Amino acid sequence: MPEAPDILLDTPACAPGNMPQDLLLEAPGGTPDLRHSRAQRLADRWAHLVFLACGLLVVALIGGILYFLAARGVGAFLPLAGNTDKVLTLREVFLSADWDPNAGRFGILPFIAGSLSVTGLALLIAAPTGILTGVFIAKLAPAWMKTLMRQVMDLLVGIPSVVYGIFGLMVVLPWVSGKWLSDSPAAGFAVSAAILSVMIVPTIVSLATDAFESLPLSLDEGSQALGSTRWQAIWHVLIPAARPRLLTATVLGLGRAIGEAMAIQMVIGNNPQWIALMRQSTDQTPMLRFLFTPAATLTTELVQELPNTAAGSTWNNVLFAMGLLLYLMTMLIILATRRLGQRRNA
Amino acid sequence: MTSRTLIRTALAALLLAPAAFAQTVTVMGSTALGPLVKKAAEDYMKSHPGVQIAVSGGGSMTGLNQVVSGGCTIGISDVFATPEQEKSGIRNYNVVIEPFALIAHPGVGVASLNSQQAEDVFTGKVNNWKEVGGKDQKIVRVNRPTSSGTRAVQQMTVLHGKEFSNNQLVQDSSGAVANTVATTQGAVSFIELDFLNRSNGRFAGIAYNGASCTKADVSSGKYPLFSFGHAYTHPGKTDPKTLKVAEDFLAYMLSAQFQDTTVLKAGYMPVAYVKSLKAKL
Repeated sequence: MPEAPDILLDTPACAPGNMPQDLLLEAPGGTPDLRHSRAQRLADRWAHLVFLACGLLVVALIGGILYFLAARGVGAFLPLAGNTDKVLTLREVFLSADWDPNAGRFGILPFIAGSLSVTGLALLIAAPTGILTGVFIAKLAPAWMKTLMRQVMDLLVGIPSVVYGIFGLMVVLPWVSGKWLSDSPAAGFAVSAAILSVMIVPTIVSLATDAFESLPLSLDEGSQALGSTRWQAIWHVLIPAARPRLLTATVLGLGRAIGEAMAIQMVIGNNPQWIALMRQSTDQTPMLRFLFTPAATLTTELVQELPNTAAGSTWNNVLFAMGLLLYLMTMLIILATRRLGQRRNA
Repeated sequence: MTSRTLIRTALAALLLAPAAFAQTVTVMGSTALGPLVKKAAEDYMKSHPGVQIAVSGGGSMTGLNQVVSGGCTIGISDVFATPEQEKSGIRNYNVVIEPFALIAHPGVGVASLNSQQAEDVFTGKVNNWKEVGGKDQKIVRVNRPTSSGTRAVQQMTVLHGKEFSNNQLVQDSSGAVANTVATTQGAVSFIELDFLNRSNGRFAGIAYNGASCTKADVSSGKYPLFSFGHAYTHPGKTDPKTLKVAEDFLAYMLSAQFQDTTVLKAGYMPVAYVKSLKAKL
């Protein structure tokens, strides 16, 4: 072994293993003093505190919102301070479809069913479209188109939801009304879900594209080497391989869809009695009635009624309980995505 | 809602801090009445230096909640206070008449409804325009949300207290109602007179009981489709000096000078028109 040059031995900064201590604490004479100055260390500590405070603020905000919603929402069921009205049982609220606040009946089942229906329908449209677009961008599109598509998707995410709503109200609704299978008005789940799916497709597309791009190239090449066509490779190999991440993409889309209020409330018709109305009506087949009956969701009902109800009244409290329910549902969805992500990594 | 109010109050306080020595009256509530009250406040402050009148929105119910709790000097509202709110000792001033009109999608083939027909259309007894002399076209009712004060007034005057049909679309603002009626075949609804005047034929007015929304028909009681714009004060929770300024301001709003000019121009009507109608007011 040739002798190491002097400089390596003499300069502790270059000796591996004990570098940090030497550098910071007892740099021997001759080497530059690399210790941070007092001012710098002070600044470091302050920065640390600022970052910590910001982090804590976010946590406190989330906790605070939960507390605020819960404090008011629970008032619907418990005689808390600030209540000016009667309290209800959980059963009366969560297991009843009878919503008639002026008569003291507060069944929120129509809103829960409405939220789930419109979100489900939107996913039914957006998930396949988004995933297939993802395949296209990641595997089939020429380079220039790839860039273009990505930019278009980013653009779609940036459009405010109220703009989608105005488009739905002024263009889509009049266009669909009275045509094909729908009556006039066409307000209801069909148009809302269509608008909503346009809003969540970009989320699903960008996550799906990442999923396909992160697959090892050998999968694609291997299956083609074995004689599969492009379609067979995509359908039998790529999509199954990316499935966990595609699921995550879909669930994130779901999370965005369930909280959307502005766009939907402009086109859905906001009818809290939609279940009763659907049952009474004999106009069309049940499926078409379901798609084109003016309906309501948790979010639309909150937007419509919250500003007009007096604080402390049962009505107001039930609306807060609905907000709390939405919060918890969203939390659940986020937890589910994390679970899915962990399984993917394992 | 509370946090919004808090932020607003904080902002208002910041803005008003330099004027701490002036008499400050805060007005809060109905977004529909807001512009009119703001105009009144500007005029009043011009002739009364040293008085500050700050007008902010929030909605009728916010205005009522705030005046009851002492959060503002004057709460403006399109609806009467609830019985519980009345009990707190607030005082009501009817400041303007807010007339509204029946409207429909152009092309339903009906130009007027009598009060029974109008009631039937909205309660759901009648479901096709041909039953009230129009085209063979399904009736699409467009209403305000259940909690809306405007809707309560409509239920009282047009439906004579009966329930609205549950076969309806709901929109929560005059603008959204106007758009929906304009773009939906067979739609029918109510809207503030001002909106109808500016509709450019996108939707059509329907005469009620053969009467139209004119001074003569409103003051004779032939045209009952109106509500009052209210201003509430709370003598028990207001500093007497501020209360006096607030009362003087409201007196200005009720003066002929203001009512016969600005009020009319804004699409409202002077309260004097219905002075003779003692019933139900």
